Amino acid sequence: MLILVRINTLQAWRRLKSIREQSSLLWSVIAVFIVGYLALSFLLFHRGLRFMGRFPGLGGLLTERLLFLLFAFLFALLLLSNLVIGYTNLFRNRETSYLFALPVSAQTIFRWKFIESTLLASWAFVFLIAPLLAAYGLTRGVPWHFYLLTLFLIGLFIILPGVAGSWLAVSLGRYLDRRAFQMVALALALGGLAGAAWWFQPEPITDPMLETRVLTVLDRLLLKTQFAQFPFLPSYWLSAGVLNWSEGALVSASFFVLVLSSYVLFFGFLSFTRTGGIFYEAFSAVQSRGGLLERWPFLRARRRKSPALAYSRGWVESALGALWWVKPDTRALMAKDIRFFWRDTTQWGQTFVLFGLLGAYIINLRHFSHQLTNPFWINLVAYLNLGACSLNLATLTTRFVYPQFSLEGKRLWVVGLAPLGLGRMVKAKFALASSASLCVTLGLVLLSCHMLKMPWTRTLYFASAVTVMTFALNGLAVGLGVLYPNFKEDNPSKIVSGFGGTFCLVLSFLYIAGSVVLLALGSPWSRGRSPVLGSPEMAWFIFLTVSLGLGWLPLQLGLRRLTRFEM
Amino acid sequence: MVELIDLVKRFGELTAVNGVQLAIQRGEFFALLGPNAAGKTTTIKMIAGLMKPTSGTVRVAGFDVQREPLEARQRLAYVPDFPFLYEKLTPWEFLRFTGQLFQMAESRIQPAARELVARFNLEPYLAKPIEGLSHGTRQRVAIVSALLHDPEVFVLDEPMVGLDPQHARVVKDVLKERSLQGMTVFVSTHQLSVAEEMADRIGIMHQGRLIALGTREELRWQSGASGALEKIFLALTAQDAERTIG
Repeated sequence: MLILVRINTLQAWRRLKSIREQSSLLWSVIAVFIVGYLALSFLLFHRGLRFMGRFPGLGGLLTERLLFLLFAFLFALLLLSNLVIGYTNLFRNRETSYLFALPVSAQTIFRWKFIESTLLASWAFVFLIAPLLAAYGLTRGVPWHFYLLTLFLIGLFIILPGVAGSWLAVSLGRYLDRRAFQMVALALALGGLAGAAWWFQPEPITDPMLETRVLTVLDRLLLKTQFAQFPFLPSYWLSAGVLNWSEGALVSASFFVLVLSSYVLFFGFLSFTRTGGIFYEAFSAVQSRGGLLERWPFLRARRRKSPALAYSRGWVESALGALWWVKPDTRALMAKDIRFFWRDTTQWGQTFVLFGLLGAYIINLRHFSHQLTNPFWINLVAYLNLGACSLNLATLTTRFVYPQFSLEGKRLWVVGLAPLGLGRMVKAKFALASSASLCVTLGLVLLSCHMLKMPWTRTLYFASAVTVMTFALNGLAVGLGVLYPNFKEDNPSKIVSGFGGTFCLVLSFLYIAGSVVLLALGSPWSRGRSPVLGSPEMAWFIFLTVSLGLGWLPLQLGLRRLTRFEM
Repeated sequence: MVELIDLVKRFGELTAVNGVQLAIQRGEFFALLGPNAAGKTTTIKMIAGLMKPTSGTVRVAGFDVQREPLEARQRLAYVPDFPFLYEKLTPWEFLRFTGQLFQMAESRIQPAARELVARFNLEPYLAKPIEGLSHGTRQRVAIVSALLHDPEVFVLDEPMVGLDPQHARVVKDVLKERSLQGMTVFVSTHQLSVAEEMADRIGIMHQGRLIALGTREELRWQSGASGALEKIFLALTAQDAERTIG
């Protein structure tokens, strides 16, 4: 076990060192981003907590409830994160197969993979939470030992979703193809969704209620958040421990520390000593799986009925056939890319989660848009939604569009030698990525404007802005992907973690921030003119110029590089 | 040293390995041949303990791979066709790591590694990160790491892939020497020349079954074909295919 930890720590350290040796600019950018994020989020949290704390009579209650809610939802997210990462790490990882052929017990392999998965799944949580807790401590004027305790509590806290996630992953691996398991899981998922939708349905609140019965309204709203204070939730113990220690109730805080510690020790012990056998069974089951739906008789019968030689085009090619103006070889490339994206669960899964969350938020705008009577707030929300949509897109273009050219690297012997040509290949990827992402971003922005009951002129304004940004971000990702390829890696996340990927992400974020601020300052609906920009037309001119430069220039440079390309 | 007893492996409706019965003696060099998707790699994975058989037993050096996995693996070495290596380690660090996992004493790791490194001409690469090495060099690193602990059974899947003729010769020589010293070698390969040159016995798998087993002469007699192993192989697999269709 120690040997495994040592060797992988050495690997990780060298990976970090290689980033620094690769480019000091990259290293500096990463450092600036980290420090910048920590500083900015600290400031935001600090101001937010101070604002909330100033509510007469309610400040303390709201802050407390917020903490409980935050840790409850983060626990759920950590659980999901540990499940996804744990499954990949335990069953789809080449190191696991390698270790199973060595005289290393299944229990030891599981222990190592559990530690690795928990760290991978939880580092972002720690990174997110640190500025919040620092801001909270500063707001409450806590003693120095508060920070040490919270560090310790968080370290304990992340183990429980790690244990639960890895057990769920092992169970999934072992039983996923069983019909009973599939039916129960589906029923639980649908039941959970229905329950959550019912529980979180918004409170109907009228203006008279807001004016005369504030406490009743607040009480009804806070009732919905009481689940976060269920005493058997690990997040409750963490929140209660933090809150009590900040208030100087050290004995109460110690109680919650001990509760958390005892659960961590118990379940951690079980995990570390009793999971090896079932892990090996699950590993073998995953390797031996014929298909997930193999055991359903109606699907087996359907497969038997199909002719042995079924040369059908498939629905993807049939759908792309409607694009008669696109050359057949380009359509073939697009079909390949669509199938590749669709058949990789991690790709569309992450896309679905990111845009799904944003969609859920936008749909809920209808519940408070009638309170946004002040045009300032309506415009602010609309610009923020534009920013949120674009930031989501930037995450996805960097994560999935940027590595596209590099992923072709090992398969360039097919695509590169075809009469299609590398230039057309890159343009086809740009066209497909832009079209697909435009459907989503434009749809979300139109929905946002509809929820905010905006007139068609403003809707057109925001729709145009997001269209320009979509093309610019995709052009940037595709172009930089060609300029900074990595043909050694098969894993998109490793391709992105190099200089080019980081550069793409940073540029994308700066572009989005700058564009949203620029458009907001030059908004045709703001009172008065911006002294710097002069007019909305000037703002749009600058926006379009920057977008063209950022989207078109890397693409052109990339295409030019392809003429001298060597593998 | 390697026993496969009524070995069966199913993937859903597909039977990849169908009742394979095989016993390989100590010091024997055994080559497993077969067309693509014959079940060779699945058989090897069951020998290495990476997969549980649907039914049947695998014994390595007398130990049941499923019931006594650690004892079996302690005596086994396995090199797949595309071996996993820790990219950021140097070959020397990787060799030491492997030696430590096999609980080799420090005093044993050094001399054993030095001898093998010299034999496989890996000295120029010892201090370079594995990620920068060619496929052939990585293959040599993997083979050396597998031989380090002096296994009783050595299982290889396509060992010559990526090796130049010189180093392919080195691998063949080392495997033959170790085999004569008592190490059981189990090789799965498409390169019939390796089987012809090296193997004491050859097994041919087809559609999950071991359709032929014996020395080259015995296989020639069984197939009714004469000449190179290729002709014998093609004749036997064709005969089996006809039998299956019939």
